[in-house]
Amino acid sequence: MNFFKELTKGIIKENPIFVIVLGMCPTLAVTTSVKNAIGMGLAATFVLLCSNIIISLIKDITPSSIRIPVYVVVIAAFVSVVNMLMEAYVPALHKSLGLFIPLIVVNCIILGRAEAFASKNNVIMSAADGIGMGLGFTLSLMVVSTIRELLGAGTWLGIKILPATYDPMLVAILAPGAFLTLGFLMAILSMVKEKKQ
Amino acid sequence: MMYYLKLGFILLIFCVVATGILAYLNTLTAPIIQDRKTKDEIDTREKLIPDAVFAADSTASGMQYFRARAKEDSTLVLGYTFICSQKGYSSEVKTMVGIDKDFKVLAIKVIDQAETPGLGANCEQEGFSNQFKNLAEADLKVDKDGGQVVSLSGATITSRAIASSIQAGIAAIKASMGAEL
Amino acid sequence: MTYLGEIFVMAMTAIFIQNFILSRFLGLCPYLGVSKKLDSAIGMGLAVIFVMTLASAFCYLIDIFLLRRFGLEYLQTIAFILTIAALVQFVEMVIQKNAPALYKSLGVFLPLITTNCAVLGVAILNTGMLRSDGTAYNFLDSVLNGFFSGVGFTLMLLAMAGIRMRLEMVEMPKSMKGMPIALILAGTMALAFYGFMGFKI
Repeated sequence: MNFFKELTKGIIKENPIFVIVLGMCPTLAVTTSVKNAIGMGLAATFVLLCSNIIISLIKDITPSSIRIPVYVVVIAAFVSVVNMLMEAYVPALHKSLGLFIPLIVVNCIILGRAEAFASKNNVIMSAADGIGMGLGFTLSLMVVSTIRELLGAGTWLGIKILPATYDPMLVAILAPGAFLTLGFLMAILSMVKEKKQ
Repeated sequence: MMYYLKLGFILLIFCVVATGILAYLNTLTAPIIQDRKTKDEIDTREKLIPDAVFAADSTASGMQYFRARAKEDSTLVLGYTFICSQKGYSSEVKTMVGIDKDFKVLAIKVIDQAETPGLGANCEQEGFSNQFKNLAEADLKVDKDGGQVVSLSGATITSRAIASSIQAGIAAIKASMGAEL
Repeated sequence: MTYLGEIFVMAMTAIFIQNFILSRFLGLCPYLGVSKKLDSAIGMGLAVIFVMTLASAFCYLIDIFLLRRFGLEYLQTIAFILTIAALVQFVEMVIQKNAPALYKSLGVFLPLITTNCAVLGVAILNTGMLRSDGTAYNFLDSVLNGFFSGVGFTLMLLAMAGIRMRLEMVEMPKSMKGMPIALILAGTMALAFYGFMGFKI
């Protein structure tokens, strides 16, 4: 197994959102702006990386029957760490992400990778997997949020991109827009995949 | 039986270690969070009534407010600031208000809300909050209720909550000043 | 407002105005994954209602009597998720013993309820929710809110399952089949539910 390969597989081939279809809740909820998306992506990547490393380290001393609760404790601990750090150092972002920061603990991506990969591989590979998946997650969030922010507010990262004559499509940053944007993106990806075959 | 106890014990150890780490981190971050909250409040207060020295006080009913006196002349009372809040559409909307000594609004700032993005959440924008300048207690109703406050489009509930909470706050301060005179 | 009125407002809000799936984005993984067949959707929905109600109850008690009393709010995430995990484990054991047929049909979905963001979501939301007069939720409010949110979730799950079953027989572009059409469907439903937004009861 190759470090670089583990690192990059999470970005396209095994992209957690578009391919494995995990982590839907934050994808739809925090992609109202690119800033929120990047914030969530980095927070989740941090938790994913740390928990993958720790779980890989303790995999041999964890009895198999209680491994899921133990993983949950590890992940929840890192999520709480991220929560506290964000509240202290980036309070505005912490407020906009709100409920979804503690919800990182039930983000199926993290528990899924812990169970499927970190519990069976060594620390270096698990770290690579963590970074790769996290990066894939963050990039996907950025794609969705770019579309939603541009259409719904005419801005990107808060900078006005579209001219003032553009009347923003409010629905793009509201709930329905989230579903529709993701649905169309997935359809397009599916089309591209088919064309390749 | 011993097997289950052993499992439970191992889980307990993990929990204790995790809790210990979090407790330590909490002692580091909690003061930072608290300091920042206090600093934010002071900053907002100073923006509402510039060039003033603030003194804390509270009404007989326990509502906290600040009396603002001019920096150059401490006998000159510029006005008062207070925080009022009321449940809006989907959250408690907190507003900090600066009023002059005749109880007319100088400026407001919505400091906490979780209303609908794109609708009620626009109450934080200057376009909405600027209209409160110079309004008196009686004007503080939304246009639908016969007052001077133009509500946000699609967010009457949010606008009404803000107007009503400011009105109640001014009434409370007036009553308290009246009692002192 | 009378208490019954308060409960009605809570139910309307949890089910329609701030529906967990279409408006709060909680509980999406099972929503998109399990809603293909009506019977598995019903089973999942009922199990989720049960877990959400119990989780609301236990997490509220833990929050008030343990976390707040000792100033341990920063442990909320760990405490809640462990409670939920234990609860789901317990529910699984009870169902396995008393209704083995149900246990078999739910299969792997039962332990997955632990990672259902709706359960942890409602537990955390309950600690911050306010009634119409501005006071915080008490124990009964939290339990009822958990119950009604679960009902809202299940209703959406059933509606989705019903529609998706029909969609199986409809002609559509190949790239739309499966997840894309499910998401667009959810988006349309969310749009329809937006009509409830202006209601103040």
